[in-house]
Order: sequence, then C-alpha cells, then structure tokens
Amino acid sequence: MATITNAATKRRDASRAAIAHVDLVLLALPAAISALGLLMIYDASRAETANAGLSRLYYVERQGVAVMIGVVAMLLIATVDYRRIRDAWPLIYAATIPLLLGVLVLGRAHGGAQAWYQLGPLQFQPSEVAKVALVIAIAGYCHQHRGDLDAWRLAVAIALAGAVMAIVYAQHDLGTTLVIMVCAGAVLVIAGLKPVHIVVLLALAATLVGAAVVTGKVQSYQQARFQCFAGKTSVTQNKDQCYNARHAVDAIAAGGLSGAGFGDGPLTRNGYVPEQHTDFIFTAVGEDLGFAGGATLLMLYALLAWRLWRIALLSSDFFGTLLAIGILAMFTIQIFENVGMTMGIMPITGIPLPFMSYGGSAVIASFIAIGLALNVHMRRFS
Amino acid sequence: MSDNSRVRVSIVGVVIVALFASLLARLWFLQVGPDRTQDKLSLLTERTIQTASPRGEIVDRNGVVLVQDRLSWAVSVDRDLGPKTRVRVLGQLSELLGRPYKDLLTAYQSKAQSPLLPAVVAHDITVDQQIAIEERATDFPGVHVIGLTVRSYPAADKFHDAGLAAQVLGYIGSIPADQLNRYEKKGYQPGDTVGLDGVEAAYESVLHGRPERITVNVDPRGLQVGAPVKVVPGSVGQTVRLTLDARVQVAAERALDNGIQAARKMPVSATEPLPLKATEGAVVVLDAQDGSVVAMANYPSYPLKWWVGGISETDYSFLNSPLANAPLLNRASSGLFAPGSSFKLVTALAMTKYNMRGAYFPFPDTGSVTIGNRVFKDDDGTAHGNFDLQRAITVSSDVYFYTIGNSFWQAWNLTKQAIPGLGLQAEARELGFGAPTGFDLSESPGRIPDPTWKQQFSNLINKDPAAKLANGQWYPGDEVNLAVGQGDVAVTPLQLANAYACFANDGTLLTPHVGMGIENPVTKASKAITPPPRGHVQFDDQVTRPLMEQGFKGVVSDPSGTAYNAFLGVNVPVAGKTGTAQVNGKAPTSVFAAYFPADSPKYVVVAMVAQGGHGAQTAAPIVRQVIQAIENPGAVAG
Repeated sequence: MATITNAATKRRDASRAAIAHVDLVLLALPAAISALGLLMIYDASRAETANAGLSRLYYVERQGVAVMIGVVAMLLIATVDYRRIRDAWPLIYAATIPLLLGVLVLGRAHGGAQAWYQLGPLQFQPSEVAKVALVIAIAGYCHQHRGDLDAWRLAVAIALAGAVMAIVYAQHDLGTTLVIMVCAGAVLVIAGLKPVHIVVLLALAATLVGAAVVTGKVQSYQQARFQCFAGKTSVTQNKDQCYNARHAVDAIAAGGLSGAGFGDGPLTRNGYVPEQHTDFIFTAVGEDLGFAGGATLLMLYALLAWRLWRIALLSSDFFGTLLAIGILAMFTIQIFENVGMTMGIMPITGIPLPFMSYGGSAVIASFIAIGLALNVHMRRFS
Repeated sequence: MSDNSRVRVSIVGVVIVALFASLLARLWFLQVGPDRTQDKLSLLTERTIQTASPRGEIVDRNGVVLVQDRLSWAVSVDRDLGPKTRVRVLGQLSELLGRPYKDLLTAYQSKAQSPLLPAVVAHDITVDQQIAIEERATDFPGVHVIGLTVRSYPAADKFHDAGLAAQVLGYIGSIPADQLNRYEKKGYQPGDTVGLDGVEAAYESVLHGRPERITVNVDPRGLQVGAPVKVVPGSVGQTVRLTLDARVQVAAERALDNGIQAARKMPVSATEPLPLKATEGAVVVLDAQDGSVVAMANYPSYPLKWWVGGISETDYSFLNSPLANAPLLNRASSGLFAPGSSFKLVTALAMTKYNMRGAYFPFPDTGSVTIGNRVFKDDDGTAHGNFDLQRAITVSSDVYFYTIGNSFWQAWNLTKQAIPGLGLQAEARELGFGAPTGFDLSESPGRIPDPTWKQQFSNLINKDPAAKLANGQWYPGDEVNLAVGQGDVAVTPLQLANAYACFANDGTLLTPHVGMGIENPVTKASKAITPPPRGHVQFDDQVTRPLMEQGFKGVVSDPSGTAYNAFLGVNVPVAGKTGTAQVNGKAPTSVFAAYFPADSPKYVVVAMVAQGGHGAQTAAPIVRQVIQAIENPGAVAG
C-alpha cells in the first residue's frame, strides 16, 4: 500500500501514540492529593475564617479554582512536546528574571517575605513558577553540554541558578532559595558533575550560608526559628518563634494512631496551630486523621516520587532525565522540609506542602511540574 | 543514558527512600510510639474543671420554699474569639438581647468567671432570643445557649413581696478575691459561687453541693485535649429549713412598711410640723420558748433577684449609695438602736435585785427631777402621782427610773464597787445585752456603757490628757440615761427580743436562731438545729416579776397605759413596753417590745424604727399588726 503521509497526519499519529503512553498513576496522584488538600483546608481554616469573619468556604473555594487552573495548565503543558520546551529554555529563563525582579518593586509582604504580586483579589507568587523554570533552564543547559561539563560551563550553570536564588533571597524567601539550590544541585549531579566539583560546591554552599549568618544577612526571625529548632533557646525566652513549632508537634502528637476524626480534633478546630491551612496543613492531617491518615499521605507522596524517579530512568533523552530529576528533587525537598518542620525534625521555613497547602501559585506550579513529567513519560518512545 | 548517570539516579532514589522513611518513622514515634507521651507531657497540663453543683433549697418552718435553684437560659461566648469577631458578636448580641454592649463586654471580661469555660454574658434570655441565636448560628460564631442553675425566690413571688426576708436569706456570688485563699483550702475554685451573706453564707457548707470534678488535659491555650483523666462525681446541696414562717415574715414586713409610711405623714411634734423621717427599722418575732426566729423584717429592703446571674452595675451602686440607706444590712440583728424605755425591763429587775427601791414603794413622780446639775423630765410630762413598780411601768414614769439610775450611780460613787454600783450593767449583760447572742447569722454585740468603757472611749477620741480624764468621767447622767435606755446604750432588736423572751419564759436566756434543720433532699435524712440556751436568770418570782408582768400588761390594757390606744380592739392578751429613745439632733427612736399571749407567752415581737417618734406612735401599731397576723394567719394572702 502506498504510504501517503503529510506532516499533519504524522503529528496526529505522534500525539495519539503519546496519549497511549500517558502515566495514569502520575495523572491521578496530584488530583487525589489535591482533593485531600481541599478537605484539610476546609478543616484547618475553621478558626481562621471565623476570626476574620470570612465565609466558611473562603479558602476552599479559592484553592479549588487554583486546582482547576493547575489541572488545565498541566494538560496544556503535557500536549506540547517537551523537546520544544527544552529548546526554548533560554527564553523561559529570560522571562523569569524580570518577573522575579518586579516583585521586589511592586510586591506585597506577608509573613516576613515580600514575594507576592497583588492582582486585584488574587495574589501571585512568581518564585513558585521560577523553581520550575530554573529546573528547565539548568536541565536544558546541561543537555546542550552533555558529558562536557567542565569548570567553565559549570560556572555558567551555577550563575544561572545563583541569579534566581539571589533574587528570591532578596524577597526574604529563604525556604524557596534553598529549594532552588537543592533542585539545581540535583540536576547538576545527574548531569555528570565531577566528584571534585561536588565537594567544592558543597563547601561553597556551606561557606555562603555561614557567611550570610555571620554578616547578619539572615533575618533575625529566621535565625530564631533555627535556634528554636536546634533547641538553643528556651521556650520562655523565644516564645513567638518556637510557638509554631511546639504547637505543630503538639497537634500531630494529639492525633494518635487513628486521629481525632475529621473536624473533631480540638487543636485544629480551635485554630491552635497558626498558618495551619497553609504551611502547617500536615498538622491537621496528623491530628484529625492520625498516623493512619498521615502515613497514607506520605505513601501517596512516595508513590509520586517513585513515578518521577521512574520517568527519569525511562526518558528517551538526557533532558527528560534531568527534568524529571529536578522535579523529583523539588517535590521531595519540599515534602521533607514541610512535613519535617511540622514534626520538629526540620527548622521552620515558609515552604508549602505540594498540592496540600493553601496557596494558588504553588498549586499551579506543582501541576505544571507534573505536566512536564507526564510529557517526558508519554513521549519516551518518540 | 550513561551508566554513570544511571548509578547517580539510583543513588538519588536511595536518598529519597531514606528521606521518606525518616518522615514515616518520625510520624510513627510522634503519634504511636514512645515519643508520643513525652511530647504530650511537655505541652499539656492537667486541670480540674468543676461542674456547677445544684445548691440546696432554703425553706421556711412549714416547708414553703423561700430559695431554690432554677434553670436559666443564658448566653455564653467562647474565649478564643479574635478581637474583631468579638466586637461583632457582642454587638449583634447586644442588639438581639436589648442589653447594653458595655454590660456584655464587662461580663465577658469578668475575672470572676472560670477562664476554662466560655464566658456567660447574659442570663434569662427569652425563648425567641434562644431560637434567634440558634437559627442564625453563622452570625454568632462561638456563641452558645446554655442552661444554668440560678437562685430563684418562689415565696417572694407567691406573696408578692420581692424583698421577702432579703437580709436574712442573703445572696450568692463569685468568691471575692480577698477570700479566695480561704475557700481554696476547702476545695473551691476561682469563679465558684458561694453564699456571701445571710443564710446563704452562714449555711454555705451544707447548701453548697459537692461539685463534680473533671480532670482534663489542656493545651497551653486552655483547651481540653482528649478524654477526661479523672472524674469525681459530685452531690447536691442540702436543704436548710428555717424557723421563719413565711406568712408571719410577710406580715411583719408589711406591718413595718405600713408603720414607716404612716410615720412619714405625722409631724415630729406639736412644735415641729415637719414629718417624721422614719429612716429605717426592723421587726423581730421570736419564739419565747425555744429562741427560734419566726420573722425578721428590715426596712429598707430590696429584691433579692437583683443578684440573680450577677448583679447589674446600676443595682449594685444603688444598694451601696447613701440614698438607699444600706438595704443589705440585717438591722434586726446587726442594727444598733437606743432601746429607750423598753430597757426599763433591765432597770426594774436590777432595782429590786440590788435593793435600790422596793417594788411596792410608792414613789412620788413630780414630772421632773434634778440630778447633779441636770433636770430630767418625764417624756410627756403627764405621769404624775405616787407610783409603785407596776404603775411606773404601765405609765412609763421616767422620773421613777431616772432616780433608780441615780441611786446606782451614788452606790458606785461611794464604793467604786461593781456590785451594787454597776448592777444595772450586770443585769443588762445577764439578759444578753452588750454581747453577741449566739445568733447563727451575723450580728452586732451592741454596747452597755460603764465607767471603763467611757474612759477607754474618751482616751480614744481625746488627745489632751486632761480632756481624756474629764470626758472619761462616769457622771450621774450616764447612769441615769442608761436606766431609761438612752445615751450611749445600743442594742439590736434581736437582743431586745431575746431579753423579753428571757423574762417571758421566766429565766431561760435562749440562743436565737434562724436555722431549724438540715435535710438531705435525696435520702430525706434530717438533722435538727437546736442551739442550747445561753444561761439562766433567776428572777424574784414572789414580788418583782409578777408586778412587772402586771405592769407590762397594763401598758396595753390599762387606759392609762402608754400603748392602750394602739392596741384597742386586740383580742389576745398582750404584755409590752413602749420606748421613745431621745437621739441627739434627731426625732426619737420608736420602740415597742411585747410578748403574747400575756399569761402563757409564746411569741416576743419587737419593733424599732429610727426617727419614728413615740413608741406608741409608730412601733406599737407595727407590733399590733404583726400579732394580729399571727393570730389570724388567713389574713396574709399568698
């Protein structure tokens, strides 16, 4: 049979093939976790909405809208061949920098950080999207110079990451800065960083953090939070800084094996843990759903990590591997830091729990990241 | 992918597994494992919450309920509201309940309420208001409608007498800050309700139920965590039965009120046309045989229900204002009055006991007598003639008793011996004056002046040694004044009633009491309150006492008796004595003390009205009304 093909048919075939290979588990996981997130936001915002005189569903509705936008964004990202995104990395990176810089001028401060754009009733946090953008950029750059990551090129890669980190840090968002550092580091390590460079980079990172603390570039509340975590300060001396940490641990411990029951945990119900519907959402899971619920959520996250790790191995090109690793690192460090701080094994930073914490920008950015990973997975044979 | 990269991706996988494993482990230890208790202990503290315990009832001698707990629907507001919400919620409540915002806020912030429980901001809300709050729950975050037990006064409603025995029953309230220590030693907690006055205070230990105590774990915000650690069940308070007879009490209060209102329409005297002020008064009805208080009325009074659910600021400041003239005070046992001629009971008994004058000696009363350099006149100047003791009492001859006072003073001046010189004081103390009677509510000891007291008082008010000495002298006038119940002598209506009871029952000095028995409302077990008599007084039953009895009867029944007119038409034989006690710069205190039936005395009735004029003018008609009410109980509607 004569084969008469044209470009359009080829693309259709390609996308049909791609849809056939979509990772359904990875598609379902964010949706499931987001649904739980909406429930827990409802649970944890009881006292907050009552005190502020807001509607009981105020946060749930807004988060619901963000989840829907996120799902659409995820599907859109998945339809564009990731290799086109790969080739556009310099453009993506170039667009991110002014977006980040702008917030320093026009932004709105909250919780010690100045990292939000106020768009009418909506707020937009560019650093959340910047995390994903930087992972694309570093992965794209390393893909271009595959197997040839000499010191000079390494320096360029570090400069790419360093610029984003510096601006985010200038927004007093230490947590996101560290997340970006971990993501960039993970991508570079997989990209073939030489062992000697790894050692030098670790030393450099330690020196930078040390210098920042010594020269007073780290905000006092950030230091206090860390001292509190390290047990250097007594509770009475540093009440405010340790308050969150103690109350978070308290709420989780109160949950026990099976939890107090949804909506029945007295600490959650009475707003005992500050910022509970945002950064401390895991304490609501811990108190109301107990170890059963908390462990289930951690298992869902572990499943998510496994799918991302698997994509890194299955990817048809090096960029796909690096992208999946960067996204994997991003989720893992956020989950570990966020859940860890609620349980008192990590210091407190303002990092949201992916798909769970209230916060539209983070939700949308997380869905975009999953969209990229799905993209790599479904095109692994093309 | 190169092998190198593959190895590195695998290493990343291992790192991630380790991270998740450590989170899971930490979660396990925190929620299920050994760390759990440790974390709880570091943050949770135990606290004990006491539930309200039903307080015992107070009933009268016939079982009429005077005070009991009733259910009141109240509004409580959670303590963890944010400032904005609190303002909004209290504002909306103020609108709905029609109560001032300030009152609600004051109640919300009151330190007297337990910090562990929602603050009760309003009591006794209507059914409509209840429904409105419950239906609009979203408009009232943290607001609850709760059932509380509060005091209620059924007899006051039944007899339409809002102030029924208010000063006797007393009131309850949160433990005052300065008494917290004392109560805490007995197991009370801040915010507990206790009796603060009257029977509620005197019988607190039996009225107060043992509260149910629930020990719970609370977090640093005071919120309960988990199930209660320990529950100690409570018990209900016991019923206190009083010796009061509600009907007689109501009659006494009405008689006192009528008497005072009537006095306020009478001129002070023939030369002073302004009406009597009749500022305050009290009535005591005492059982002459066992010392039980059948009625105890006070003027001015006030409605006890003002205290229910916490007194309002307006009511409280009124009760304490000079305008209200201390309506909280139980004047019947704590008010001090000059007894006037009713004190001649003491003088007459002392006269024969210490041989100052024979009971039959015909003493000439010329209307006035000069003692020292002072002229003492008969009160109305009409009692002229030769009087024996009986007649002197009936017509209330002041000169007869002035001269007795003078005789005592002469004896004291010559011998400086207490006996017989201060025989008047000795007799007064024997009859229970000048010292607490042993009454189960608070009382004043009163004062029987003597040379020692006068010197001490002078030392107290004078600085100059010469003045101390001069003003501390015991002059004839002091003893003369005492002989007719004036000057520095001060008695409570209860003391006066108890002294007359002692005379009426021929010598038993009783312990007056208002508590009759304690009854357990569940087991019905009861225990009578029967305080033993305080002592026995030996009277001269041959001459003096019979003569005095005749004298007291004559006061009421002899046309020349001082209270003859006041008692015209009373069928029961009454014996009594008027008193018109001169008070410096004020109209006299009107006093009447009586016992009846005169031949087998059952009750003593005493009425005292400050600035009430003559004894026969105000106090005697009050006593008459009370006696008629006791004789004719159907007359008191209820």
